[in-house]
Amino acid sequence: MKSKVLILLLTIPFFVYAQNKLSKQHQTQALNCKTCHSCDIPTKENPCIKPCPRERLITIEQTPEDAPAVLTIDKLKKQSDIYAPVVFTHRLHSEMAEIGGGCGMCHHYNPPGNVVACSECHDEERKRIDLSKPDLKGAYHQQCINCHRGWSRKVECESCHAQNDSVKKATKTTEKGTEKKRVHPKVKPPEIVKYDTPKTKGKVVTFNHVDHVNTFSVSCNKCHSNESCNKCHAKYKQVSISSRSANEKHTSCSNCHNVKVNCSYCHKNTVAAPFNHKTRTGFDLDKNHSKLACVRCHVEKGKFTGLKTDCSTCHGTWTKENFKHSVTGLLLDEVHADFECKDCHQENNYSNITCKNCHEDITYPKDKPGKMIKNRQTLAK
Amino acid sequence: MAKQSRRDFFKTTALIGSATVGLANSAKASQKNALSEDRAGVLVDTSVCIGCRKCEWACKTVNNLPTDPLEVYQDRGVFKKHRRPNDKALTVVNEYPNTTSEKFPINVKVQCMHCDKPTCLSACIVGAFSKNENGSVVWDTHKCIGCRYCMVACPFQIPAFEYEEALKPDIKKCDFCFERTAKGKIPGCVEICPVEAITYGRREDLLEAAKEKIKNYPNRYVNRIFGEHEVGGTSWLYLSNRQFEELAFPKLGKDPAPGVSEAIQHGIFAYFVPPVALYALLGGVMWLNKNKKHTDAENES
Repeated sequence: MKSKVLILLLTIPFFVYAQNKLSKQHQTQALNCKTCHSCDIPTKENPCIKPCPRERLITIEQTPEDAPAVLTIDKLKKQSDIYAPVVFTHRLHSEMAEIGGGCGMCHHYNPPGNVVACSECHDEERKRIDLSKPDLKGAYHQQCINCHRGWSRKVECESCHAQNDSVKKATKTTEKGTEKKRVHPKVKPPEIVKYDTPKTKGKVVTFNHVDHVNTFSVSCNKCHSNESCNKCHAKYKQVSISSRSANEKHTSCSNCHNVKVNCSYCHKNTVAAPFNHKTRTGFDLDKNHSKLACVRCHVEKGKFTGLKTDCSTCHGTWTKENFKHSVTGLLLDEVHADFECKDCHQENNYSNITCKNCHEDITYPKDKPGKMIKNRQTLAK
Repeated sequence: MAKQSRRDFFKTTALIGSATVGLANSAKASQKNALSEDRAGVLVDTSVCIGCRKCEWACKTVNNLPTDPLEVYQDRGVFKKHRRPNDKALTVVNEYPNTTSEKFPINVKVQCMHCDKPTCLSACIVGAFSKNENGSVVWDTHKCIGCRYCMVACPFQIPAFEYEEALKPDIKKCDFCFERTAKGKIPGCVEICPVEAITYGRREDLLEAAKEKIKNYPNRYVNRIFGEHEVGGTSWLYLSNRQFEELAFPKLGKDPAPGVSEAIQHGIFAYFVPPVALYALLGGVMWLNKNKKHTDAENES
């Protein structure tokens, strides 16, 4: 009896530890238990996982390098005597998936924590009780074929499988070693994309890719989601653009731009120059503003016009008390630090500096009212 | 009863004397426990099917029908024509263009639907068809007299006749892999399908799974399960992303087809009313004519 109690006491910490380890993974995800579990207290023995798809999809992000390079999918080996297991270039595929939707393109409804294999959820046995999701064979094939047939328009097995009892076995070179070396070359984004539209006036639409990514910080998946290989590798040219409706043609732009008004904003007769804040709006995004996200100044969603160029529009009224002059790179000396702003900056224009109010023979920037510093402190707000 | 030969059948019928009564009873008797709650079904998701035609090959293989090697089935040229199952292929896959995404044509597998209230069974005058507890509708070669009424009756035009067999032609149709499922296996076509576009299971469970799919992906599917109610329900159920009529599914009502014919048969023909009435009518005409001839002859003489 004593020994049983002892064993029990010894095992309790283990269970507590196991629970904590699990909940640690869950904690980082800020999840509601009910998203995945149907019962109140899920245990390891009875996790009562809801069938997919759950109301909120959970997925994980990993880099392609974190995952295995090549996998041999032989879970169904005992079922099939016609085809050999597939050697799957996992790294290559995850690199390709990065632009479309990441790991979640295949590992859908992945629980928090580690990326799980297909066989965790999909039954190996085709004759089964739970019919809500395909069995493992179905899951594998649906996942592969839906992209591959869009790409090649073929569904023949030999594109992935070697045949077990045929001469073709020798010709198929799906050796693990050679497959390991295959990587997808880094995708080089285009600088601009020029569209020739059927419009007679304003034929050319220039999409400045660099600006959208760098200047406007539009994330890749905002436009590129669930794209298949033939987006770039147009083996069979996509549906010609003219067969799509006007609405469909504009969807990639209309998510952010109002395409219903002012066609000439995008439709021009020649290739448009890259976006330049100074020439377009008159306000120079100098070193102080070039790194800001657009919404920091253009607060109202989707409205980018009508903002005044005065500093006070965004910054409020500066006084000598609330403005740390060192952020400009010039630390004022003791004498000048006591002055009001307007003593040197006239009419609220802070780029216009005059010394004439006190000095007759001194001009800025030849002479400076303090010392220049390198480590500029950034404004708190 | 099951091992009854054609000759035996004629003997029994002759012995019973009243052919109609005997046949009506035997036809009724062959539908045993037709609507068991655990009866099997198959859910075909046409939006998943890729048209690889592996099921056609597997069907022929498990049914010992002559078949080309598996590679030949990769030829998509056969889709140019819409085919129907025949005595040499109990299941076929057809293709329909996808108007919204031409890269992904829609493929539809066709075979016997294994109706809950089979018309073939009702139409068969010798009771060669039977609906089994597991949902399958099977045909017995020993009873068939080759009248081919089943072919005319079937709302899906499934039963096929071996016209090329001169001596012992059979009716050929999918038997839901009766022998395989009896051994606990799943039908040949279901087993081979790479994408599991065809799911085998309890019909009730399949309906539930199909409804769940429609609920989860309302944009992908039309809100209808073909076979749930059609002609009183079928064992094979279909999900589609197109209206079923666009995919050459027949337009059918909810009432089982035998309901109409059997109502007529059992209603009008009850108690031999039509034959008795017909003979009475003919007798009346004869009697009238006889009388007329009599008077004519008397007048002439």
